Amino acid sequence: MTASTFVLADPTKCIGCQSCEIACAVAHLGTSITTAGEMEAPFQPRLRVVRTSQVTMPIQCRHCEDAPCANACPVGAIVRQDGVVLVKEEKCIGCKTCVLACPFGAMDVVPALDKGQRVRQPGLKVQTDEGAAPKERYVAHKCDLCIGRPGGPACVEVCLARALVLVKRGTMARSVKSRRTASAMQIARSGVQPAGANR
Amino acid sequence: MIYIDQELCTGCRSCADVCPVDAIVGEFGQPQSVDQELCVMCGQCVQVCSSYASILDEGIAPREQKLAERAMLPSVKEPLFAAYNQGKALKVKEALADPDKYVMVQVAPAVRVAIAEEFGMPLGSLAPGQMAAALRRLGFDRIYSTDFTADLTIMEEGHELIERVTKGGTLPMFTSCCPAWVKYLEQTYPELLPHLSSCKSPQQMAGALFKTYGAKVDKVDPAKVYSVSVMPCTCKDFEANRPEMKASGHQDVDVVITTRELAHLIKDAGIDFASLTEEEYDRPLGLYTGAGTIFGATGGVMEAALRTAYEVITKKPIPELDLEYVRGGEGVRYATVQVGDLELKVCVVSGLKHVAPVLEQVKAGTADFHFMEVMTCPVGCVSGGGQPKALLPKDRICARTARTASTYKHDGELRHRKSHENPDIKKIYKEFLGKPLGEQSHHLLHTTYTPRRRDA
Repeated sequence: MTASTFVLADPTKCIGCQSCEIACAVAHLGTSITTAGEMEAPFQPRLRVVRTSQVTMPIQCRHCEDAPCANACPVGAIVRQDGVVLVKEEKCIGCKTCVLACPFGAMDVVPALDKGQRVRQPGLKVQTDEGAAPKERYVAHKCDLCIGRPGGPACVEVCLARALVLVKRGTMARSVKSRRTASAMQIARSGVQPAGANR
Repeated sequence: MIYIDQELCTGCRSCADVCPVDAIVGEFGQPQSVDQELCVMCGQCVQVCSSYASILDEGIAPREQKLAERAMLPSVKEPLFAAYNQGKALKVKEALADPDKYVMVQVAPAVRVAIAEEFGMPLGSLAPGQMAAALRRLGFDRIYSTDFTADLTIMEEGHELIERVTKGGTLPMFTSCCPAWVKYLEQTYPELLPHLSSCKSPQQMAGALFKTYGAKVDKVDPAKVYSVSVMPCTCKDFEANRPEMKASGHQDVDVVITTRELAHLIKDAGIDFASLTEEEYDRPLGLYTGAGTIFGATGGVMEAALRTAYEVITKKPIPELDLEYVRGGEGVRYATVQVGDLELKVCVVSGLKHVAPVLEQVKAGTADFHFMEVMTCPVGCVSGGGQPKALLPKDRICARTARTASTYKHDGELRHRKSHENPDIKKIYKEFLGKPLGEQSHHLLHTTYTPRRRDA
């Protein structure tokens, strides 16, 4: 089994506070920031809380085994590394194909940041009435499962409602096994026989 | 005033969990609003709110508009959250640019253990000297400290307590320096108002002195003095605007900003806070003792009062200065202190939601103590609603611990640690005020309260 881990939220527990978004954004800043006042760039979380009249929960990458985003990427900027589907920002050209390909809406294209500051492109300029202005770089942006973070995904750690869970390979295997066992027991108890078994 | 941005609030009600007076109104999952009559403006909701304006959200008002609605400086870059307090930094910037105004500033004890956090320094960094330097760079004419009037509060309140205990006044006596607590008592337990010390808060004492004694010392026309206060608190502005706070013959405190807003002003002026060399506060209204600075932590007013009351009553030096038994975290603490022949019983309440059971005891006549300190915020002013806002819950807790530790460190390192030993306190009584609870003190430093129970 090659199944990778992923973070999934429980909509019955999520209160929609957006703490996971903040924790995610802060964990990926590349600088140590503790207060709102130190935060000079907008939050760029890699998961987004969905709020409708029926449901409130964050949505993030499922780290698909056959990742449509990676398969659609024309420049090979999306790779799989240690079971995590990752955007290699340096390769990304901001074409947004991955955004269209992702069936979960887990992909965004956002301004690239270097130590909290926006990055200008070397060549591409924006034509304005005042002349040509440097164009900021935009890159594909998605959950990286906080790869390399000692405490694991920051969103899971911060959630006070305990709505977010890291679904691990082992957890899934155990859950599937116990459900199979339960199905077998149910079939046995019900006395159902496959059609044509007595023929 | 505290508001919740209807466009940004997701209705998670995390704010309602920390509101000590159940003033957050709304259905779960729907934008919340603040019941302004009930709200004590402690700003704890502002501290915990995690619903923010995302650049990815379409259809919400532009950031410039939100900054203007909140009266924040247009240069502010930080994220905007749903719960906020109305800012006053624009007014301060205006006053500083006005050559006809003589701008005096006071900064509260808890500001010096938190402001540096807004400039990349570790949580709870102690930075009184750098803050004084930054205030001078901003162009304030006099850099004073609320810690000085905290010392003065101890002189007045300490003597008031001694008088109530020895002459049979209303007991137990309650501290009156936390404006959110005072408003709560006025609206929820007006029958207990006689228990409140008649002392104004250190902020208001400073305000009354800036435009009287302060103006006299600097030989300026009191009408030209503009009095600015920097507080860790989102309720101090309400206190400054109480109609009775005009003892100097003018509005005693013209404008109050929070620690966060001072950081905005410093950034707006392009001052590199972290590289500033430490400077002194101006005298006379900026010289303070350790007793004054611990007002920022829960139990601090009590400890400062005990250090002075002990020596005034017994005429002997207090054997131990660090009164660990009144220090602590959120909740209610009791202690008994032997002061000469008097067995003084005290109570310290940290976090307004813990006070109601104690007040019920006072009402029932079963409360067994002489003096109670109440602070609305979880661990006192260091955790105030106007302090730097930690982005993650774990950092919020770390910040409280670190700021409290810095407060006591500062106390330990100051030359004087008892309010009555502050040389400029002695001087102001000699030159201007006369004696504690005297006529001039009564006029400038004491106040009255207003029952404000809402009609059922």
